[in-house]
Amino acid sequence: MSAADLDLMEAHKRELGELAKKAGALASGVADANAFTAAMEGQRPTELLPGCKTVFVLGGAQPRAGDWASPSYRHMETTSTSDRVTAMGNRIAQHIERRFGYYAVTIPPGVDRARRPFLNIALAAELAGCGSPSLAGPVLHPQFGFMYYTAVLTTLPLPVDGPLATPACPAPECVTMWDELGTTPCMATCPIDDGGCLGGSLEDGRVKERRYDVARCTTRVQTSFIPGFQKALEAVFDEPEKEKRKMILYSSQFTRTLWSMSYSNVSQGQCFECMRVCPVGSKQRALL
Amino acid sequence: MSNLAELVREALAPDAQGAIAMSRADDIRKLALASGVDVVGIAPVERWDEFVPAGSRPYDILPGAKSVVVVGVRGPSAGAWQSPDHRLIEMNGYDFANDRVIHLVADHIEREYGYQAIQAPGLPIGGHQPAFSMMLAAVLAGLGTRSFAANIILNPKYGLLYYSACLTTLELPVDPMLEQDVCPAPMCVQVYKAGGRTPCQAACPSDDGGCLHGTIGPDNRIESTYYDRERCVSRAMNFGINSFQKALEQIAGEDDDERRRMMIHSDFFTRSTSAIAFYKESVAQCFECMRVCPIGRAERKLK
Repeated sequence: MSAADLDLMEAHKRELGELAKKAGALASGVADANAFTAAMEGQRPTELLPGCKTVFVLGGAQPRAGDWASPSYRHMETTSTSDRVTAMGNRIAQHIERRFGYYAVTIPPGVDRARRPFLNIALAAELAGCGSPSLAGPVLHPQFGFMYYTAVLTTLPLPVDGPLATPACPAPECVTMWDELGTTPCMATCPIDDGGCLGGSLEDGRVKERRYDVARCTTRVQTSFIPGFQKALEAVFDEPEKEKRKMILYSSQFTRTLWSMSYSNVSQGQCFECMRVCPVGSKQRALL
Repeated sequence: MSNLAELVREALAPDAQGAIAMSRADDIRKLALASGVDVVGIAPVERWDEFVPAGSRPYDILPGAKSVVVVGVRGPSAGAWQSPDHRLIEMNGYDFANDRVIHLVADHIEREYGYQAIQAPGLPIGGHQPAFSMMLAAVLAGLGTRSFAANIILNPKYGLLYYSACLTTLELPVDPMLEQDVCPAPMCVQVYKAGGRTPCQAACPSDDGGCLHGTIGPDNRIESTYYDRERCVSRAMNFGINSFQKALEQIAGEDDDERRRMMIHSDFFTRSTSAIAFYKESVAQCFECMRVCPIGRAERKLK
């Protein structure tokens, strides 16, 4: 690879970083597409986009300071989602394709079959140096902490950032708390041995072990939304009494569940084969 | 504002009015293109008279409507088309960019020019028929023509696009409809002549379990088309409102409690529900471990 090639890669990366920032991202980084060795089969970038070279990761759209400050915890349920960061990812993908002429695809936030994500976006964020895994679960950015991430797979070669040299978690305050009390703030607020979801230990200022009860967490984090809807539906059909069934269907819980999952559409069409073979517009899809 | 604008407009000579209308159309095009759409076309409302019944014409929806601005955007990225995981394109095909931009267009017309403007209704409001056909709007605004492939409107440059339209009482200079059919492409005509099928028909032949059939006439234009809509829906929309309704019917009809539970929590029903949902309103209901986390707290502390 010549010096000119390297300069060009750096220029592309700089341009994408600036665009990401302009679109509202707080962090961006690049992961090597071949570094996803810990990912499950079918969830590696090269399996999702043949010829994928790099994964451009964006982070941002985290709850605002005011969201965290609101005494109504329900407020954040409805304002904090990965929507905005995914829209930023789409913008980056569009820019890569239309300006640089390389393939790019944004990883959608939903799930593939068997409730598996298309790509482990947390792993992508870690490999791109946008943060590191935490005792609490989410990937944390050293400066901004919790944020939402999106990943754009691309055939565009870019200089790779790689994982952070120093993990964001545990923070110095948490190490101190661990040394004094044998727990950290997150583990203390949701202790796995006392009905919560989080456990683990620190050693030499680093995470030594992590315990996370995903099933229990789901029953808390997703009390409404799709799992909540399914649970309520089960209760409705199991209820033999007509009046009680009606009460469940019009209950605050079920109403809230429907609000939480409705409003638009994630998957509108599942067959594009007739368009795939159509020559009209195919030039627009044939890139490097 | 609108009264003043009207008075000024009436006072101007026809040539000047034409120049203003042309300038406004240019501004609308520039705004839409700069906001992310790939194509913009403008049609006069009279073009609908020939094709749709009373009640579905633009001026039935917006009384006094004079023009229809139509925008189109590309759906899946080129990378999404390349992915061997077809589910990726299912989730990535569409991000409502056309709807967002058409709202900007409507806002611009109302705020800058003082004329009424609305987003044309694109979704079914009764039965399965939309109140206003975006496909027809795209054709009448000169952005594309119907194809063999499920009657999808193809744009000459981009092929498949997603369309939205804005109905307005503002009279604008209009675009001509396309004189030349986009489909069949010359390559498809050759393939048809050699094998009796176009590429899309070969990919999904109606006489072999698929949805598409059609013939090309001696003039190399579409002579006849056949599209098995029901079969296509069962393939193209196996997750979505249709599958949700179907699954719910099956769940409601199942007497065995255990089987019903299995159906409710099945992968299929989960994905059907996901498909009609949107991860927007409330994905997570607990943030407590993050609330107490010191990382990033400085960013959350403001005046």
